[in-house]
Amino acid sequence: MSLKSVFKSAFFIKCIFVIFLSLLLFISSISYKHTRSLSESSGFLILSSKIQFQLENVLFMLQEAETGQRGFIITHDTVFLRPYKTAQQKIYIAYLKLKSLSVDNRQNHNLDTLMQLVNLRFELMDYSLKIAAGKTDEKILDGNLLRGEKVMNKIRVFINKMYDLEISNFKERQNKYKNEDSFLPISIFLFMIFSLVVLIYSYFKIMKDLWSLKKFNSELLVIHESMKHSEIIGEFGISIWDLETKKLQYSDNLFRLLGSLPQSFEPTIENYLKFVHPDDRTTLTVGAEKLFSENKVTRSFYRILRADGGVRYFMSQGEFISDGSSKLHIGVIKDLTELQLSKMELEEKNHELKQSIVELESFNRVASHDLQEPLRKIQTFISLISEKDKIHISDAGKQYLSKIESSANRMRILIDDLLMFSRTNKSQNVFEKTDLNLLLGNALQMLSQNIEEKNAVIHSSQLPALNVIDFQIKQLFINIIGNALKYCKPGIPPEININCDQLPIDDNPVFITNTFKKYYKISISDNGIGFDQEFSEKIFILFNRLHQIDEYPGSGIGLAICKKIVENHKGFIIAEGKPGIGATFTVFLPA
Amino acid sequence: MQQEPIQILLAEDDEDDRLFFKKAFNDIKIKTNVRFVNDGVELMNHLTQSSSQLPHILFLDLNMPRKNGLECLVEIKRMTHLKHIAIAIYSTSSSDKDIEETFVQGANIYIKKPSDFTVLKQILEEVVKVNWQYQTSGLNRDTYLLSL
Repeated sequence: MSLKSVFKSAFFIKCIFVIFLSLLLFISSISYKHTRSLSESSGFLILSSKIQFQLENVLFMLQEAETGQRGFIITHDTVFLRPYKTAQQKIYIAYLKLKSLSVDNRQNHNLDTLMQLVNLRFELMDYSLKIAAGKTDEKILDGNLLRGEKVMNKIRVFINKMYDLEISNFKERQNKYKNEDSFLPISIFLFMIFSLVVLIYSYFKIMKDLWSLKKFNSELLVIHESMKHSEIIGEFGISIWDLETKKLQYSDNLFRLLGSLPQSFEPTIENYLKFVHPDDRTTLTVGAEKLFSENKVTRSFYRILRADGGVRYFMSQGEFISDGSSKLHIGVIKDLTELQLSKMELEEKNHELKQSIVELESFNRVASHDLQEPLRKIQTFISLISEKDKIHISDAGKQYLSKIESSANRMRILIDDLLMFSRTNKSQNVFEKTDLNLLLGNALQMLSQNIEEKNAVIHSSQLPALNVIDFQIKQLFINIIGNALKYCKPGIPPEININCDQLPIDDNPVFITNTFKKYYKISISDNGIGFDQEFSEKIFILFNRLHQIDEYPGSGIGLAICKKIVENHKGFIIAEGKPGIGATFTVFLPA
Repeated sequence: MQQEPIQILLAEDDEDDRLFFKKAFNDIKIKTNVRFVNDGVELMNHLTQSSSQLPHILFLDLNMPRKNGLECLVEIKRMTHLKHIAIAIYSTSSSDKDIEETFVQGANIYIKKPSDFTVLKQILEEVVKVNWQYQTSGLNRDTYLLSL
């Protein structure tokens, strides 16, 4: 799972959370409103019943007062006036209560009308009581009582009317809330269902993300662990530098490379520089300055002095990376000590080798000049004596002189060939694309006198142009063809055949280990005395000879030179011989 | 063949070589006048003296004390009144480096000192003849190495 999709899913979860929260707010506000209207409607119910109760109370008190009035009129006992008085007070209290309970305008108005009727009734009753107390006309009393009775009926009718009005008011309110009540629960339920679905979906989504995060986390753990190990195996450490907070972190292995325990000191540049060899501190700080001034990442090589006194060779290299919020410098510090030591050893060996090459060259100089100089003089003096003073020398003297001459000649050959062998060194020579036909022609020209003397016949096929050291290949031809001319059968003119083929890639002889290279196969065969196949490898060794000096003169260096030349060209040379029939030398040169 | 003797100068520090050289020219039929100088410094002194006659052919040994043959060659070819002199390098060395270098610096012939008196005579005769027949500039790389 990529980091991007994790971030995306986090955004999704945030969205879900916001939606869910707003849904919850909506549902709770609706519920709040619903409960409020419920409590309101029950409040109305209580109010209505209270009003009804008080209205009944008023009627009841009036009847109480009437009963008290009747009892006084009949008995003239003042005891009956007591309930009459309390009923009057209680009605007044009920009036005040009704006044406070009545919110309805119409009912308020009715209440005032009711109170006028009640007051009228009480006036009439007071008047009746006064008449009864004064022992006046019975007719007036009866008339007044009758009027009182009429007012009382009116009050009853009016209270009933108010009672009905209150009931209808209550029913009206009840209906209003009933409508809302039936709609609200369904919508709340639907919203709840919807929220639940969203919640369940979010739960699964979060679980899925959690699972992939877990997987991601375990992968990270594996990477972290393998990183730790590869640091130890690869002998490198890592530093992470937050350029915003200036905080530096070192990996455990970096501490180990410095010869310290992991996280044993605070990772700061100052602390790190303490480990750096004093002579190398400037190179490191200059590198660091360059890093900041030019934003250019540099490689620094420097030495580290471990606490135990050991010197290690380090290389630091780093890169800036930014992960959006912060810019980091990641540094890789590699311990190159083993490499550096072997490099230094190699450099020393190289130096020694160069030294010995210089010595060898000066030996060449000695051999080519200083050693030849006296020999040349000996030979020249011998030739002077044999030309000018031969007549004065005895026969024995002449024989000794010729012995000296042949020894000197042999020494000359040895020196020349040895020189040639030591000069067959590829390091100073240049490989150039050269036509081998040309080189063969030059070689044959060099041998022309010899060829003519022996009446030799030479057949050669077309040769390729190859990347070679020209004079070495010419020497190769001279040596092999020269041998063919030298080791010919007495009385039979030598016949030399030079053939060339390009080998197919998969048909290289077994000794050619590089099977993917193309080779040219050049074979030079003769009809000479040949040699025993058992010597086919020995003849290439320096100073190895198959014949007596007086039979076939030679230094035993020629074929050793051939082998060296072919090896210089990354080729191969083999020899095949049959005594009395001939020899074939085959050279394989890379195309 | 000719009336005037050919002026030959050999710069050579080795006494024996001077002897061989002198004897060889004695045997050659061509009329020559052979003179010797013992090293490079002496050679340069001789050539820059206005009184001395300039040689037709200068035989120059490479390995000489005080000033070697190559240094002399470079100096001579730099001087306008000397650079026309035919110069034959006469050395024991047969190294490619020496041959290449002297050729680049303007030597006309490279002779490897032979180890046979008869061969020496043949070579010297040839050089003198060739020099007589051709202009010095007519020589090419093939005729450059007379003996190896």
